[in-house]
Amino acid sequence: MFLFQAATPDINLTLIAPELIVGIAGVIVMMVDAFGRRGQCWLTGSLSIVGLAASAIASVWLWTSWVGPRTAFNGMIVLDELRLSFTLIFVIVAILTILISSIWIETEKLPAGEYHSLLLFATSGMMLMASAGDLVIVFLGLEILSIATYVLAGFRRTDVRSNESSLKYFILGSFASAFLLYGIALVYGATATQSLPGTTNIATIAARANSSLYPPLLLAGAAMMLVGFGFKIATAPFHVWTPDVYEGAPTPVTAFMAAGPKAAGFASFLRVFVFGFPIATAVVSTGGFAHKAWLGALAVMAVLTMSVGNIVAIVQNNVKRMLAYSSIAHAGYALVGFVAAGAATTIEDRSAALSAVAFYLLTYAVMNMGAFAVVTFIARRGDQQTNVDDYNGIGFASPVLAFSLSIFLLSLFGMPLTAGFMGKLVVFSAALKQGYAWLVVIGVLNAAISAYYYLRLIIVMFFRERTETWDVPRLPASLALALVLTILGVFYLGLFPGRVLNAFQARPTISLQLR
Amino acid sequence: MQNYLLTILILLPVIGAATGVAYSFTPGAKESHHRWIALGFTTLAFLLSLLLLKGSGGGINAFRIEENYPWIAAVGARYHVGVDGISLWLVILTTLLMPISVLSSWTAITKRQPTYYALMLLLESAMIGVFVSLDLLLFYLFFEASLVPMFFLIGVWGGERRIYAAVKFFIYTAVGSLLMLVGIIALYFIHQNATGVGTFDYAVLTETLRSGAMALSPRAEFWLFLAFAFAFCIKVPLWPLHTWLHDAHTEAPTAGSVILAGVLLKMGTYGLLRFNFGLFPNASRYFAPLMITLAVIGIIYGALVAMVQPDVKRLVAYSSVSHMGFVVLGLFSFTEQGMQGALYQMLNHGVSTGALFLFVGMIYERRHTRMISDFGGLVRPMPWFSTFFVIASLSSIGLPFLNGFVGEFLIMLSSWTSFAVQHAWIVTMLAGTGVIWAAVYMLWMLQRVVFGTTTSEANAKLLDLNAREIGLVLPLLLLMLFMGVYPSIFLNRSRASVEAARQVIANPAAGRTINVANASKSEAQR
Repeated sequence: MFLFQAATPDINLTLIAPELIVGIAGVIVMMVDAFGRRGQCWLTGSLSIVGLAASAIASVWLWTSWVGPRTAFNGMIVLDELRLSFTLIFVIVAILTILISSIWIETEKLPAGEYHSLLLFATSGMMLMASAGDLVIVFLGLEILSIATYVLAGFRRTDVRSNESSLKYFILGSFASAFLLYGIALVYGATATQSLPGTTNIATIAARANSSLYPPLLLAGAAMMLVGFGFKIATAPFHVWTPDVYEGAPTPVTAFMAAGPKAAGFASFLRVFVFGFPIATAVVSTGGFAHKAWLGALAVMAVLTMSVGNIVAIVQNNVKRMLAYSSIAHAGYALVGFVAAGAATTIEDRSAALSAVAFYLLTYAVMNMGAFAVVTFIARRGDQQTNVDDYNGIGFASPVLAFSLSIFLLSLFGMPLTAGFMGKLVVFSAALKQGYAWLVVIGVLNAAISAYYYLRLIIVMFFRERTETWDVPRLPASLALALVLTILGVFYLGLFPGRVLNAFQARPTISLQLR
Repeated sequence: MQNYLLTILILLPVIGAATGVAYSFTPGAKESHHRWIALGFTTLAFLLSLLLLKGSGGGINAFRIEENYPWIAAVGARYHVGVDGISLWLVILTTLLMPISVLSSWTAITKRQPTYYALMLLLESAMIGVFVSLDLLLFYLFFEASLVPMFFLIGVWGGERRIYAAVKFFIYTAVGSLLMLVGIIALYFIHQNATGVGTFDYAVLTETLRSGAMALSPRAEFWLFLAFAFAFCIKVPLWPLHTWLHDAHTEAPTAGSVILAGVLLKMGTYGLLRFNFGLFPNASRYFAPLMITLAVIGIIYGALVAMVQPDVKRLVAYSSVSHMGFVVLGLFSFTEQGMQGALYQMLNHGVSTGALFLFVGMIYERRHTRMISDFGGLVRPMPWFSTFFVIASLSSIGLPFLNGFVGEFLIMLSSWTSFAVQHAWIVTMLAGTGVIWAAVYMLWMLQRVVFGTTTSEANAKLLDLNAREIGLVLPLLLLMLFMGVYPSIFLNRSRASVEAARQVIANPAAGRTINVANASKSEAQR
């Protein structure tokens, strides 16, 4: 009886509607696959897309209908622009992944239903990570996501590389999860007060960060979580698993992993650190060091991540591996915005920096999915042709593919007119505003380095002649649709990003000064 | 029409490129038709650009034809384009060189014509965009966007070492311009801190700087000047940042070299004149001695290296380093004469070096070699070619009555008399040797290529220029003569804008006049 009184469950299903819809869609797809005829790729695929679209509609509805940040389930779930913008990214990534992978499922004769339902579960896990207001939900979402992704990475059961990738991902991913969990436990202990037990609620952590009984414990917990998250979003020096896993996993799954789970990691990472250890606590002597410490560590990680990603990418001969290192580098650019969000002293600046990171990851998702769409198609059966040499002189043999890929590569480099440029612009602007000029200079120098390996693929495609024959493959409809969507996205976000940027920024409902 | 003229000029080539792509999908499309499409659109753009000549020049913010709309409110970028006396001529130079380049590719480009002409057209709109943008972000966008088509032009249709040259060109320029991007964003926030509103708008920025509402600290101005100047000096190219130039020029197809030398290099000097002088007048004065020193080194170095080149195209490429050094010298003399001379020299260089590259392309098309030693005595089999080539070379040397003389004379006159140039007579004497060296390398090259006895069978059998080739160089040759004898028609239209730009340097902020360090002696005497 008193249990109910102690905690009235603050149930609000509308607030988790996007997650619910995707989860239910996943179950339906699984059922259809189990009881319907096997191997109907188009059926489960289109069901999944319908589910994802419904979820997108639900989140847009949430976006337009609600005012001010809200929480539900006793603060377990929060609703704000940060969550919704990331939800949008996940839906886009999942839909594009389905479009890209349809051709691959058919040529490899893989069970489509399983694949699609796993993808949907992973997506609901990602959404949960973005909407978590509590470290426990973060962990829950992460596990839902991770377990589905481990299976996806090893989806080509007969391929040794795929198995290796899956196993590596599983072992190292569990390792990282353990770090994260340990960090959560330490933070729980550190936030206990003399009268109250510890907390895993992010808002409460922020409130208690100054009154921690054991400040070093808080610092250790934050450090552990930093490692755990750093692992998930593949920042240097926790990036070592990425190239192997990305190279071995089936190409559409690699595309998904580089864009989706990475963004999900960022969503939670941002939420926990920017909101959990905010600058507001930094002025007070006891809790201040936690904020300063993670901000400094993150700036160093950003430099390392950008530099390692870009420099090592130069020497790669496998396109998937190159894109893996490029994805590491892009996490570094996003971290520059993250640092700006952490250092921001006003709500407006913080929201601008957070929206910059979200926008950056959206642009990265679009252009990266586009690039991988082409790579998947060129790789053919069994991911055979993924070396740079396989792209020799295909430029004028299949101009549609080659020019699309060039657009995505130039966008990844950050060429103006494309999404990649706007992403970098907003992220670097946010950092420059907080006085991180040195970080931005390192960032742009890295962008210049990255030109080398992105151009290399363009050079190979257009400037070299093909020696062996290249039978121009026919573009299947689903892939063509994915390419059209991503190219339109690249130019839309590059030329008219205003609407999206405005939507991603928190509406100024509260005017509380952070410091 | 008049109101949207600039937008039409920017978009017309894009529409042309789209037309070409659309045409290539129609059944029965012929590759050879694409050059007609390109020729049509570039000629139309040239004719339209002549409409810009209406009216007279204005002050620095009095842009004659101006368009200004919000573009991305979230980042504070605007679509603000305008033309004044400075950009007017550069736009017309661009639109003039484009149909000529298309004509010069008529038979030289045989493979992948649809893509080639589409890229040429895209390049044209990026270049026009650079010269008319008045929003820094928009400027940056066009500045970078011009890289991609040129990268492809060099890489696909270039010479043997084209890949190396293309990558070097791209990365060199990208490094510089990315640092400029940091400067642009920093300027945005400095303006935001000073006035509460961030802006990339050049007109607004200069206005707040002039009114004193926004003041740049010397430190900030120092770094911002460097960030901008680095990007522009790579593009100019100023010694020692010139090492991409000879590779790119040499390996590019003829039309690519013409555009590179004729237009892309001008983006650098135009940027210095427009943005560095307009936004950072104090730092411009501070850095003037350094820039002048580098310019003079470039003048002499470029000339000396040009002298020993065995390859005609490389020779012309190195002569560009020398000529562009004159432009920078003229700009940093901070006198009206010098800056007018620099602007004039930009046009001269575009016309005469463009023509020289065309001639090199013509003999390359015939003999498939550019080595000086392979030629000799071309005057006998190719009299028309030889006559024209000699005229273009003399224009490049700076012979009186041809255009090169006017620009170089103005520049040297002002650098001698300017107070801003320290040790003016040494600087001017050294720069003056550049003209002598130019005579040496050009005439020596002419002697070995055009004159003398016809050395080989292959040379004796060469065909002279055909009607198309004469037609495409004739406008340039006439322009050389015209610009040499009647420069005032050009200088009058740019005078007000150049003078306004000079005034910014002389009086950086309202009420804060600096001593006469920048007025020239001749003016003081007046």
